[in-house]
Amino acid sequence: MTARDDAKRARVGSVLRDAQFWIPVLVLIGGLAVLWWIR
Amino acid sequence: MTVTEARVDPAPLTVADTSRQRRLQALGIACGLAAGVWLGAAEAPTKLVTLGLSPVVVSLAMVFGVFLARWSLPALIQGTSYIRADFREAPHLIVWSVLAGALWAVANTLTIFAIRDVGLSIAFPLWNSNSLLGILWGVVLFKELHDADWRRWVGVIGGALLMFGGATVLAVASSAHAAPGNAMRGVIAALTAGVLWGTMYIPYRKAYLTGMSPLAFITFFTIGELVTMTAIAVTFSGGVVPLWRELHAALPVLFWLLLGGFVWVIGDLFQQYAVKYAGITRGIPLSNTNQLWGLAWGVLVFAELRGSSSALLSQVVGGSVIMALGAAVIALSTVSRREHQRWQDTAAREAERYGVDAGFTRARAMGQEAHATTHRRSWLDWAIVCTATAVLVAFAVVARAPQIHARAGWAAALVVVMLVVAAASGTALWRTTRFS
Repeated sequence: MTARDDAKRARVGSVLRDAQFWIPVLVLIGGLAVLWWIR
Repeated sequence: MTVTEARVDPAPLTVADTSRQRRLQALGIACGLAAGVWLGAAEAPTKLVTLGLSPVVVSLAMVFGVFLARWSLPALIQGTSYIRADFREAPHLIVWSVLAGALWAVANTLTIFAIRDVGLSIAFPLWNSNSLLGILWGVVLFKELHDADWRRWVGVIGGALLMFGGATVLAVASSAHAAPGNAMRGVIAALTAGVLWGTMYIPYRKAYLTGMSPLAFITFFTIGELVTMTAIAVTFSGGVVPLWRELHAALPVLFWLLLGGFVWVIGDLFQQYAVKYAGITRGIPLSNTNQLWGLAWGVLVFAELRGSSSALLSQVVGGSVIMALGAAVIALSTVSRREHQRWQDTAAREAERYGVDAGFTRARAMGQEAHATTHRRSWLDWAIVCTATAVLVAFAVVARAPQIHARAGWAAALVVVMLVVAAASGTALWRTTRFS
C-alpha cells in the first residue's frame, strides 16, 4: 500500500462522510424513479 | 505536457479585494444573463420531438453534442494541461462532477417528456423552479445570505415567492393546453427536472468554493452525463440494437440535436461562472431568465401558442413576467462584505475537509491563479478540437432541415442577440479572470 493509495482512500472516505454528498445521490435515485414511471 | 510552475502566495484580503469582489459579482451577474440567452435557445431543437422521435433518443443526441462541447471548448480556451492541474489540486471533485453530470442527464430527459406533454412554453418555467431549490441549498449548505441584512433577505425570499407565483400561474395554464392525463405527467416531469437541476447546484457550488475552474469541472461532468444517458437510452429502447436502429433512423436530424447540446454548453458555462462569482442565490435566478428566451423561441420562431385563446396567452405571458420580476429582485440583492466573509469561511472549511491548498482556494475565489503557471496548448488539445469539429461537420453533411414550421427572420434576430451577448460576456470574463 503506497502513500498515494492511502491518500486516494482518505479522499474517498471524506466524500462518503460528507452529508452533502448524499443529498444529490438520493435526488438522482428519485429522479430515475420518476423517469421510469412516466416513460 | 508543457507546464512551468512557481509557487506564489495569494495576497491577504484588503479593501482592494472588496472592490474586486464587487467587480466579480457584477461579472457573475452578466454571466447569469448571458446564460439565460443561450440556455433558452438550446431548448429550441427539442421541438423535434413533435416529429415522432423518442425522447431518450433526443436526449442522448443532445448529450453527445454536450460531450463534444464540454471537451473541445476547454481544450480550445485553456488547454488540457490546465484541466489536469486543477484536478491535481482537488481530485475529490472528480466524483462530484460525475454525480452532477448524472443529475443533468436525468433532468434533461425529463424535460423532453415534459415538452412532449405540455409544450415548451409551459414546461420551461416549471422546471425553472430549480432556482427556488438552489436558493434553499445555497442558504442551508453554503451559508449564502448569512450575515446579510434584512433587505437582502426580503429581496431573495420575495423574489423566490414571485417566481413561485409565476410558476403556479403557468401550471394552471397547462391544464388548458393539453389532455388532462398528459398534462399531469408533463407537469410532474418538469417539476422533477427542476428538483434535479436545483440539487445539481450543490456539486457546482462545492467545486467553485474549492476554487476549481468551470472549464475543468465540466470535463468530468460530461462523463457522468454521457454514461447515465447511454444507460437510460439503452434500457428504455430495449437494448443496444433497437437504440442503434432508432439513432440510425434519426440520422438526418441528429445534427440539430447535437447543435442544441453544443449551444446548451455555452449557456451552462456562463451559468457556472455566474454560480462561481455571484453564488447560487443570485446566479441561478438570473440564468433562469432563459425562460423568457425559451418563450421567445417558442412563440416567435415556432408559433407555439398560435390559435390559443387570449385568456391562455395572458396566463402564459403574465406568469412568465412575474417569474422574471422575481429573478430581477433576487439579482439586485447584492452580496455584502460580511456575507462574502461567510462564503470564505465555508470555502476554508471545504479546503480543510478535503485537504486542498488554502492558497489555491482563496486565490481562485478572487478570480486569480495561486501559481504563476504557464499552460500551453498541446497536440492533444488540437486533436480534441479537430475531432469535435469533424464529428459536427459529418453530421451536418447528412442533415436535412427539419419539417417543422419556423420563422427564419425571428430565428436570425435571436441568433444575433446570442452572439453579441456571448462576445461581451466572454471578453469581460477573459479580461477579469482569464477564465479561472
